[in-house]
Amino acid sequence: MRDGVPLGLSIFAYGLGFGLVAAQAGFGVVKAVATSAAIYSGSAQLAAVNLLQSGTATLWALFATILVINARYILFGAALQPWLWQAGAARAYGSLLLLGDANWMFTMRAIRAGEADRAYLPGTGVPMMAAWLAGTALGAGAVSILPEPQALGFDLMLAAFATAMTAAMVKVRGDLVPVAVGAGAALAIAPLAGPGLAIIGAGLAGGVVAALMHRGQP
Amino acid sequence: MTDSFPILLLVMAAAAYFCRAAGFTLMRLVPVTPRLEAALRATPLAVMAGIAALALQQGGLAEALALAAVVALTRVIGSDVAAALIGVAVAAVLRWAGL
Repeated sequence: MRDGVPLGLSIFAYGLGFGLVAAQAGFGVVKAVATSAAIYSGSAQLAAVNLLQSGTATLWALFATILVINARYILFGAALQPWLWQAGAARAYGSLLLLGDANWMFTMRAIRAGEADRAYLPGTGVPMMAAWLAGTALGAGAVSILPEPQALGFDLMLAAFATAMTAAMVKVRGDLVPVAVGAGAALAIAPLAGPGLAIIGAGLAGGVVAALMHRGQP
Repeated sequence: MTDSFPILLLVMAAAAYFCRAAGFTLMRLVPVTPRLEAALRATPLAVMAGIAALALQQGGLAEALALAAVVALTRVIGSDVAAALIGVAVAAVLRWAGL
């Protein structure tokens, strides 16, 4: 839980941002918060609101949009599986409800450090979800009186956490290989396919290179 | 397109949870070899480096300086959480200063 609190702060601000957008799209507080609870993914929600606002979308288009934007979670879930399944199926699938970008990074770092408590993922997820919903409610309810989250640098929060945790997790020179591969893949894919697929491509490229370089050491 | 918000909500929730559960479920069917484990261990570093690289590419000088500060602070103070939060504050100040 404790590790989730600073994350909650940034998620709160992001939630504010979504609440503002949702309010401008004609969502009331209740609808905006329900959307945040159902999807719990800022980028997918913004795309969904955009689509709904256009008025021409089908249910399939809505489903597919969220699937494409959230496809990175397929990768995140796969990376967690060898560790998380030991919690038992019911707990594991329940925990996955609370899987977000930031607490996935935190959990993967904790696994590297030998974390044994499988409640780590939902433990960091609960403050994030609470902050996400609170931020959405406030953003949608107080749309006219808030400062721009950008002015406070909150749009850079995820990148800042990613940078800090990369710097902390690189221990030996070999760790720089996935860093270089991931950064290179993301920059190469983003102009062609957008940032969502670029992140998936970065993860896949890093994984493939690590598998190819693996020489049987534990 | 239906106007029923509960149905929209259900479709959105189903899509979102499908993504969260699918990778986990797939991995239960695949034996985890040391090679696969090495790949999964490398994945977070590659993803995070990708996120940082895209932020650098999209951002300007303020973002680059803030993220450079984050790397240095992580190494110096040893806490990645504190470093990230200070880095965000650095970005806010630099933007405020018009950088």
